[in-house]
Parts: sequence; structure tokens; C-alpha cells
Amino acid sequence: MTENLRDRGMDCALYSSYSSPIATVTLLEAAPAVSPALALTVAAAISAAGLAMLMQPGRRGLRLAGTVIGLAGFAMLMVEVLKRATAGAPEGGFPPVFPVIFGFLAMVGAVRMITSPRPVFAALYFILVVIATAGMFLLLGAEFMAFALVIVYAGAILITYMFVLMLAQQSPVAGEGDAWYDRVPREAISAVIVGFVMLATLGDAYFSPAAQRFRDDTSIVSARAGEQAAWQRLESMPKLLLETARKAEPKTAAVVSTNFDELSNRSKNATLKVTLDDGTSKDIALDAALLPENSRQVGVDLVSRYPAGLEIAGVVLLMALFGAVILARKQIELGEDERRGIAGMRRLTVDGEAGGSR
Amino acid sequence: MSNMMAQTINTLAVTDAQTVNAALLVSAILFACGLIGFLSRRNMIIMFLCTELMFQAAALAMIAFGNIHHDISGQVFVIFILTVAAAEAALALGLVVLLYRRRETLDSEAWSELRETA
Amino acid sequence: MIELASLSTAALHLPAILGEGAHAVTIPSAIASPEFAWAGLILLLPAISAALCGLCAAFGVKSKLPGAITAISLIAAFATTLSLYLKMPADAPRVVHLFDWIDFSWKTGGATWTQFLAPFSLYIDSLTLLWMLFVTGLGSLIAIYATEYMEADTGKGYARFFGSVSIFLFAMGSLVMGGNLILLYLGWEGVGLASYLLIGYYYNRPSAVAAAKKAFIMNRIGDLGLALGVFLIWINYGTLEYDGIFKALAHTADPASGASWSAAMIPYCLMLGAFGKSAQIPLFVWLPDAMEGPTPVSALIHAATMVTAGLYLIARTYPLFALEPHALTVVAIVGCSTAFVAATIGMAQYDIKRVMAYSTVSQLGYMFLGLGVGTTFGAVYHVFTHAFFKALLFLCCGAIMHGMAGQLDLRKMSGLRNVKGFGVISWTFLIGCLCLAGFPFTAGFFSKDSIIAQAFASGNPTFVTLGWLALLTAFLTAYYTFRVWFRVCGGPTKYEPGDEMHGHDDHGHDHGNGHGHGHGHDDHGHGHAAHGNHEWHPHGPRLAINGVLLVICLGAVLAAVPAYMAMRGEANWVETMVQHSSAALPSAEHGHGGEHAHHALSFTGIEDVHKATSVVASTVGILGILIAAYFHLLNRSAADKLRQALLSNSLTRWLPLAMENKWYVDEVYHVVFRFPASVLGHVFHFIDKHVIDGFVVNGGARVPLEVGRLFQPLYNGALQGYAATMAGGIALIAAWVFWIWLHGS
Repeated sequence: MTENLRDRGMDCALYSSYSSPIATVTLLEAAPAVSPALALTVAAAISAAGLAMLMQPGRRGLRLAGTVIGLAGFAMLMVEVLKRATAGAPEGGFPPVFPVIFGFLAMVGAVRMITSPRPVFAALYFILVVIATAGMFLLLGAEFMAFALVIVYAGAILITYMFVLMLAQQSPVAGEGDAWYDRVPREAISAVIVGFVMLATLGDAYFSPAAQRFRDDTSIVSARAGEQAAWQRLESMPKLLLETARKAEPKTAAVVSTNFDELSNRSKNATLKVTLDDGTSKDIALDAALLPENSRQVGVDLVSRYPAGLEIAGVVLLMALFGAVILARKQIELGEDERRGIAGMRRLTVDGEAGGSR
Repeated sequence: MSNMMAQTINTLAVTDAQTVNAALLVSAILFACGLIGFLSRRNMIIMFLCTELMFQAAALAMIAFGNIHHDISGQVFVIFILTVAAAEAALALGLVVLLYRRRETLDSEAWSELRETA
Repeated sequence: MIELASLSTAALHLPAILGEGAHAVTIPSAIASPEFAWAGLILLLPAISAALCGLCAAFGVKSKLPGAITAISLIAAFATTLSLYLKMPADAPRVVHLFDWIDFSWKTGGATWTQFLAPFSLYIDSLTLLWMLFVTGLGSLIAIYATEYMEADTGKGYARFFGSVSIFLFAMGSLVMGGNLILLYLGWEGVGLASYLLIGYYYNRPSAVAAAKKAFIMNRIGDLGLALGVFLIWINYGTLEYDGIFKALAHTADPASGASWSAAMIPYCLMLGAFGKSAQIPLFVWLPDAMEGPTPVSALIHAATMVTAGLYLIARTYPLFALEPHALTVVAIVGCSTAFVAATIGMAQYDIKRVMAYSTVSQLGYMFLGLGVGTTFGAVYHVFTHAFFKALLFLCCGAIMHGMAGQLDLRKMSGLRNVKGFGVISWTFLIGCLCLAGFPFTAGFFSKDSIIAQAFASGNPTFVTLGWLALLTAFLTAYYTFRVWFRVCGGPTKYEPGDEMHGHDDHGHDHGNGHGHGHGHDDHGHGHAAHGNHEWHPHGPRLAINGVLLVICLGAVLAAVPAYMAMRGEANWVETMVQHSSAALPSAEHGHGGEHAHHALSFTGIEDVHKATSVVASTVGILGILIAAYFHLLNRSAADKLRQALLSNSLTRWLPLAMENKWYVDEVYHVVFRFPASVLGHVFHFIDKHVIDGFVVNGGARVPLEVGRLFQPLYNGALQGYAATMAGGIALIAAWVFWIWLHGS
């Protein structure tokens, strides 16, 4: 598997086999008589049914059955999806362990989060989801975002949530249990149906043979274009370029010229023309592995391609800061009716007519 | 395995198709779960938590597609998603606190005054 | 005429019905004459007057200012017309381009462009001038008359009345002077509008409103014909300018080769328009009812000018009629039968204004007969003389009515000639009656005679038959005309005032003692009746009415002058005018009679058909007058006895009944057209109300209502309910979009 991965990562020739429509078709023919889209849909339906059963409060047996059915549905989904991407993987090979583990964790965390009657537990399960997702990010080569996610989400946002939860929610009094609105989901069935339609749609859009083919076809070109763009972004940063050149050829004195144009249309590496210490010039081929590491690329991309977005993000955060300050300063003056309500007395007016008397 | 980790950390590698597919599937499931949670939970804080879950799903899909297309922009956009999520958390939670102080409940159905009076 | 014909490059052939002497006629092409641009004043002055009257109405002027404005501007328009007549060379028509009006082009295949052009231009030839002379002349005279006549309405409807008259004069001017059929159509509709406004002037009287609507709707039927005719002319000749049409006719028209059906339809369509506007069968019933309007209006619009618009249309487009072999025959038959039918109805009416109305219809029939049998001169001359004497007659009726508190029933007035203040009226009335009756050597005699003579002279058996019918009508005309005069002005003096019910002009007079017009008393005095209501006195007209009566009377007399000039061997002025216009005909009339020694009137022993006709017609006319004198002057009870005798005999009782009831034409129309239309209208109303409105519209509106009610529970105010709807919708739309994207449509 490792060998295979390296080949795929480095060798452009492998792209074609990876994305060959013929390979896909063969795979489909190898699959059982059930049509692939139908199989995905059925799997999604099974998991939805499991989830719907899980959301029935107070029936332990049903919830247990829902757990089993939901897991089965998830397993079916995973298998279906992984079957579609076995090109290049050894026949009957071992399924990718890390994605499955992280995916399972994320799924379990998400389901528990929306079914747990205790808001604090829900928030904790959300942290589990965040960590699993961060693992996925790592697998996808986005290590900066993985750590940023854990730091920002788990470290900052979720803490805020916890604070608010603790502020708003008194700890359950013994015997009284959780608040009823946390225990009883509203319109669970219709919500699950909507979610199922969304899941089936997304699954179809991601994994139907046509979508797969489309993705494969475009990914070859755009992957090469992406690598080219990554190289070209270096041109505006001579110091980094020189550093990269020195990685390939330690004796480089200066970069004379770059040649990244052929990368997009031919299976060639990026090349550099450099002068060496001894004054001789030399063409060096640059491997994709020599590109700057992920966090550097993200930073370069952020400031060079999306400066306006960066500014706007800053403004959004500033405005959120102002908004939070103003909201926090706002004193609520409760009307008589609301004070009665809080004091546990019967309200004088119906909700709709009372209005916020402030 | 360690070899693989080194690979992903050092390069803008194209991860294998199974990983990408798994990531996409997880993203779809997370999104659906977030949606279902948003629609079925009554607790306003949990509802906002569910929107965060949907943000997660979007971020995961972004990174997966960025990986497929070899484009770092996918990751850059996740930064923006994080920004929006943080801003939303700050404001929405502030609002939830205000609402809670007024009705002493987190039930979203306590706020249905805009309904049609049939 | 011969010179004109020889000048022509391409001859316009007239069909054989016009007589053997019919030669080729070509209308000389028009000359653009920007130097005559001041002729536009003839149109501008009434338009300004109308605007000023509108301002007067807006500012609530309580004086006679609107009348003065109108009279002055119309007199100025008449002066302009007169100077135009004096300055205009007679050689060829003049086209005066005033400003661009309608001008647009469109691509008709390839690079060819079709242009639709209707500039605001004037086409001035002698026919135009003739018409405009009497239109503006009579218009100004009648406006002066109306300043006194309408004085009771001062401050109320006065400005409205004169504004409408000004609008009428403007529209009539554009109808007659317009250089193209679009402008004619504008004027045509404009006079229709003015007529509608003026008939319905007393809008609080239901009968006036009904009459106005009747006139308007009847005219719409005719206007449809005119519009179709204009369309067909555009289709066939590609232009609507008179000059262009005449040129196109001269170059392409050949009656021998069968013209296309659409070209053959043109004269019939135009004819329908003319019949509507000029009150001919089958569209004549509106004109008698139009007498609901103030009398000056009846005199100006419904006797002298507007109703001759149909004649003008046919005279102007005469070359088009000449192309179609049967068109003119149809015109002749319709005209003659209208003349006869209207005369028989006129005999049995008691309302003097109605008698005059039917006589107008009848005389218009004569004019159409003249056009039909091929004497445009005769027709136009009759238009000309008729304009004067009929206006005179109406103004006399109006003056009588004005003085007698709205009395119009000829059985309730007698011997007015002896009533103080009514002398001028009686004697001018007599002159008008003589003209109408065709008494020898009056204007009406000459003009009517030339028409009947041409009917006999043509030798065409149809036309000869029509000529006999026309002679009979002439007899009836003489009878009913003098029936009115002998009854009203002759005999012993006896009268009773009109009442509100019968009053056609609501003067606001308080009958009985409200005759407190200081002016009337001091200036003229009043005829004091020997018997009758002692508290009520008829009051004679004052200067404006009397003066106008005298002037128009003079005009009616002088209208005979052209005929006397012709008798002296000089050129008949009207004939010259006609022959220099588009209504020109080969002058076959005079050199023609000799060839027809055995004409229909040979029994008189006179070879020249014109002379023979004159003799026969004058005999017939005098006979009619004598019979009227017997029945209505000498032995008035004889008329009633005759009527009773006819009524008692079951074989003949239909005759007086039919005549008194206007041949039941209104009733027939009611049954044949109005009743089915009404039934149809109710059916459609039912369909509209229950099927269209009830089922389609309201039912369609109920669908979203019901659907909305179906989905109403979704809008329960719960945030997640809305979110579920939204998310579900998004999911479905996304599913659909992805499905199309991935799997094809």
C-alpha cells in the first residue's frame, strides 16, 4: 500500500490508470447485480432508518436496534464507497485503515451529538467529531488546517459553547432529569427524511459513476495545474525559490530562470536554470516533493491569492467582536408578564399577544 | 505507515482515492447529521452546535476536493469557514444568552410569535 | 375639360354607364405649394377657438365670450378660405405640406423598405374650396345665430356648445382639406365626435342621450366600411395620398382587365362609410333622432355640412368608383330609394324639425342619385344649394321654437306670419320651402333638376326608372314642405306654447310667466295672441337671429346664380369648380341631349332632355304645392278626413300607419339586429360571469388559496418547521440539478 501510494503520488503516468473510465466500468461490472446508485441509496436509507430509531427517546431496545442498524448502514456506505476507489489498490487488498477509523469516529460522534439528551455531552461529542475530522485533514495532507481546527474549534469555540451551556443550563436536579426539550426531539421522522434526501443527493453527486468519471477526468488536468500554480507562486518569492533550488542542488548560487510552463501540458517536471557556486549554470528538475510544506503554502496562497478575502475575514471578526460587546451590554428589561412567567406564575397573556414589553 | 505520514506532511501529495472517497462520505454524513440535528433538536445551543457540524462537513469536503484538484485554495477557504464559524459562535451565543434571559428556557419553540394566526 | 383630357399622359377610363360620351379623364398631378401654408389657418383657427372655449369652461366664464370667440374665429376662417379661393390658380390641385405626422418604414423582404406616409398636408383643389367655402361660411353664420339662440345656457353649457362647434369645424376642415385618407379619417371621426357631443348636448334628457348613442353607433358601422376601404386602398395602391392614388390609378387602372377582388371592394367599403355619415339606407335612422340636439347644430351639422361628408368622400374618390362597373349603380339605387322613403315618412310627421330632418335625408338621397347617375356637378350643386336652404329652414324652425317656448308641433301653430316679430321668420321660411320644393327658378330647382335630367339623359333603363321615382319624390317633397309652411305660417293665427315634454331646446324658460326677457320686450315686442294663454306671449327673435336668417336667405337665393349664368351661356361656376377637381367627369351632359331624341320624357314634345325635365319637374312641384295648399291651407279638415278614410279601409290602412311610424325601420332594426345582439350579449354576459369570471378567474384564484390552506400548518412559527421546509426544498432541487448534471435530462 505504501509503495503504491508513493507511486501514485509521484508518477504522473499512474493518473491515467487511476482515472481510467474503463477501470471504473470494470469495477461496476464486478459489483453485484444491484445498480451502484441504488446500493448507495439503500445504504443511506438504512442508516437513516437506524438514526430515526436512535432518536426515539426512552425506548432502550429500539435505540439499541437503531444503533445496530445505523452501524450496518454506515458499514454498507463505507464499503460501497471504498469499492469505487480500489483502482491502484491491490486486488482484495486491505482497506485503508486510518480513513475508516477516523470516519467511524466522526460518524459516531456526530450521531451521538444529535441524539444525546445532555447538551454538555453533545458538545463533548462534537469535540470528538472535530478531532476525527482533524485526523481526516491530516490524511488529506492538510496538516496546518488539522491543527488549526483543533486549536480554534476544540480549543476556543467549543469552550465558548460550554460556557454558555453552563450559564444557561442548570445541572439536572436529581429525579427531574434533563429538560424535556432536550429529551424529546421534534419531528424526528421528517427531519431524518430531509437529511436522508440530502445525504442521498450528496452521495449521488460524489459517488455515482458519472460523478466519479467527471471528477477523475478533471482532476488530472487540475492536479497538474495545481502543481504548476504552486510552483509559479514561488516565482514571486525569490528567497523561497532559492531555498527550494538548494534543496535539489545544494551548490546553487542563484536562480537564473524558471520553466514551469511545460508542467501543465506534458508530463514533465518543473525545471530551474541555476548558476552554481563555481559559476557554471545547470538545469535542475524539481520534484513535487520539493514544494514548500503545507503551512507555508497555505500562508502564501492566503496572502497572495486572497488578500481581499483575508481583509474581509478580519472585518467580519471585528464586527462580531463589536456585536458581541453590544449584545453583552444590553440590559433586558423584563415586562411584568415575563417576570410573572419567570417567577412561575401563570402568564396573563398568550405568547403571541404578549409581545416583548420592554 | 510512518512513511505515509511523512509523505503527506512534506508534499502536496495526491492521497489515494479511497482516503478521498472516505473523506467525502464522512463529510456527507456529517452534513446530513448536522441538518437532522438542526431540524430535530429543540435546544437552541445544540441547534447552533449542529450548524457548526455542518461547517465541519463543508470544511472537510473543501479539503478533500482541494486534495483531488491539487489546489491549496481548498485549505485556504477552510480558514474563512473557521472565521465565519467563530464570528457566528460569538454572536449567536450572545443572542442565545439574551433569549434565555428573557424566557428562562432554551426551547426554540418558545419563540414562535411570528407564526400565522390561523 | 377637353384641354385637361388632352393634357393627360395616361387616360382614366370611365365605364360605359356614364354614357357614350364618356371620355378619358385625368386628374392633373398636384403641385407642392408651400407658399399656401397659411391655408392651415382654416384648421388652426377653429382649433384655437376650441381650446379657448375649453379654457372658458375651465374658468367658468359666465358671459357670451365663448360664442364671440367661436364666431370671430370662424369668420376669420371663412375669410381665409375666401382669400385662398381668390388666390389659388385653377390649373392643378395644390398640396400644402404643413408638418410630418405619420411617417414610418419597415423592411419588407431583402433591402426593400415600405413606407407608410401620412403627413399633415392639405390637398386643395376647387372641390375642396367649394366645400370649405360653404362650410366655413355657414359655420360662421350659424355660430352668430347660436350666440343668441343659446343665450339661456350662458355660463352653463355655453362654452361646451361652442367648443364642440369649434371642434366640429376643425374636424370638418381636416376631413375636406386633408391631403390623405388618414387625415380624412381623422376629420371623419372628429365630426362624428362633435356630432355625438352636440346631439347629446342636453345630456340630462334621456332621449337626447339615446339619440347621441344611436348616431354614434350607426356612424361606427359606416366608419368600419370607411376604415376597410382605406386599408384596401393602401393594400392595392400603396399610398393614401390623393395625389398618389390618382397617379396610381392613371398608370395601372384598366377597367377592361379584371381588377382584384380587393380593389373591386374598395368603392363598396367607402360607400358604406358614406351611407353611414350621410344617413342613407340602411343607416339613415340616426339623422331624424339627431334633432334632439340644439337647432343650430341641426342646421349646421345635420343638414348643411357633416352629412355631406359622405358625398364629399365619394366625389373625392370618384375615380375609384368609376373603375367598378356596378358601384355607381348601387349608389344611385340606394340614393333614390332613400330619397323616396324619407319623403314618404316626412309627409306624415307632425314635428316640423323632424319633417326637415327627413327632407334632409331625402335630399341627400338625391345627391347620391346624382353621383350615381354620373353628374357630379348636379350632386355637388345640390349639396351647395341644399346647404343654404336647408340651413335656412332649420334656422327658421329653431327661431320658431325659440320664440314659441319649444313648440314644434305643426298642429298647434298656425298663421305665424301675422304674429308680431315672426315676419322675417315666415317669409325667409317661405323662400327656403320654395327652394326645397323645387319651385321653378329657385336654386333647389336647378340643382335637383340637373340630377333628374341626368338620370333620364343617361338612357340606362335602371337610371330612367330611378328618374321617374325621383320625379315622384319631387312631388312628395313639394307637398310635405308646403304642408309645413301652410300649417305653421299660413291660415288663421293660433298657437299654444310648447311644454317641457315637447321642447327640443330646453331654454330654462318658465312657461306661463317666466317670459321676463327684458330685451325681448323692449326691442321687438311680442305677438299678442287674440286667444290662447293670456299670460304667455311668443317672443320674436332679435338681431342676430333675424340677420343671420336674412343673410342665409340671400345665400339660398343667390345659390341659383350659377345656374342663371349657365343659362346665359356662361360657365356655371359650380360646374367649373367640380370639373377642376377629382370629381371631374367628361362633360357629356350638354352636348348629349340632342342625341337622345327619344328620351323618357319625349311625351312633352321637348327634345332636349334637360328642358323637358325642367318642365315636368316644375309642373310636379307646383302640383305638390297646390295639393298641400288644398289640404293644409284651404280645407284643413280634408287632410284628417283623408287619413281617417285610409285608416278605416283595411286595405289601405297600412299606408298612413307605416308612414307615421317611419316604415317601422327602427322596429325592424330592433328585431333583426338589436334583439339578437341583446340576446347574444346576455349569453356572453352569462359566459363571462359564470364561466370566465366564475370558473376560470375565480376558480384559478381559488387554486393557490386552497393550496396555501393545505400548506398553512407548515407555517406554525416554529423555526425548525421553516428550516425543514427550506432544507427539504434545497435537497430536492439539488437532487434534481445533480440528476440532470450527472445523468442527462
